[in-house]
Amino acid sequence: MQSGAELHGDAIAAAVVGRCWNRIGVHGDGSCELLEQHIHCRNCAVFSAAAASLLNRELPPGHLAEWTRVVADAKPSAVQKSCSVVIFRIGAEWLALPTAVFEEIVGPRPLHTLPHRGGAVMGVVNVRGELLVCLSLGYLLGINNSAADGPRLPNGRLLVLACDRNRVVCPVDEVHGVHRFDPSQLQEAPASSSRSAAAYTRAVLRLPQHAVGVLDEQLLFQFFNRSLASATAT
Amino acid sequence: MLFLVFQLGKDRFLIEARRVAEVVPLVEIKSLPQAPPWLAGLFDYRGMPVPIIDLSALALGRPARRCLSTRILLVHGQIGDGGARLVGLIAEQATQTLRCDHAQFLDSGVSNDVAPYLGPVLRDADGLLQRIELDRLLSQPILAPLGALQAAA
Repeated sequence: MQSGAELHGDAIAAAVVGRCWNRIGVHGDGSCELLEQHIHCRNCAVFSAAAASLLNRELPPGHLAEWTRVVADAKPSAVQKSCSVVIFRIGAEWLALPTAVFEEIVGPRPLHTLPHRGGAVMGVVNVRGELLVCLSLGYLLGINNSAADGPRLPNGRLLVLACDRNRVVCPVDEVHGVHRFDPSQLQEAPASSSRSAAAYTRAVLRLPQHAVGVLDEQLLFQFFNRSLASATAT
Repeated sequence: MLFLVFQLGKDRFLIEARRVAEVVPLVEIKSLPQAPPWLAGLFDYRGMPVPIIDLSALALGRPARRCLSTRILLVHGQIGDGGARLVGLIAEQATQTLRCDHAQFLDSGVSNDVAPYLGPVLRDADGLLQRIELDRLLSQPILAPLGALQAAA
């Protein structure tokens, strides 16, 4: 190969051989005067030129065939998998909410019930020193599960959701995880699902193992705000 | 404006990034028998045959080096009377981009009928870079066989 001296300047060639970042850069004694300007070697032109010079290698075996195949295939669409939801389970129902509304997911912890509060408000829960209102999604959606039966939290997880400026906690039986998907995969919610659940379900996402109801977070938040208003009313 | 930097031999040249659809690594190229040396052949780009011009072979008379930094620039161009289509350009050291203004370019003061695509030059810390005028590059009479190839396709 006739690459080499002809391609890069002397300074860069010397830097690559001498690996200046290991001698006088951030991985060395830090005495390089360019560090004052660049803070870190990765911002320095010598370093990036040295990295680019790594591409002056011969093609590795199989490289041509692999890229020929990749380039011949249809271009992967940029809009693919642009939606992200967190999938969880209440009772037998698999549900999902957009990942953006999640503040965190915490483990089970004691529930402090509030007297004379029925309906969806289960009580308050201490999350990192802050008392948050605990709302039952199962009650709202008409799903029979342990959470809806009484003021007892299931041994699952607590979803901490950012609902406008408030934070609310919703107990669930299980959290499956974050799932990314193409919005075109969403299907209409079937009419057969229970009435109140259908009202809050925006669409259905079919996964290999089960169908997931994607909840409408705006409708849910309206309900949350009404519940919070009743929970905090004096 | 954003430009893509590449090399012909040891000199650096620029091409307007908005004319570049994609930069892909070297791929297997189907050669065309009896084609001129700079017409490297055809390759399958997303299911579509795209002709490839080897810029080193065209300008320097030697084929581009086969290494990882040599890449194929897919540019939107018009050849002959055909409509705009993709053409692949094999360029060495196609690893960098550069952002600069049109006003920063200086007239090179030299014109060469054999290479009408050589445009104005730009200074930077490492020396001069010359802009390649894509339309003039692709409308050269020497590329006429490519126009015939398209008409047949």
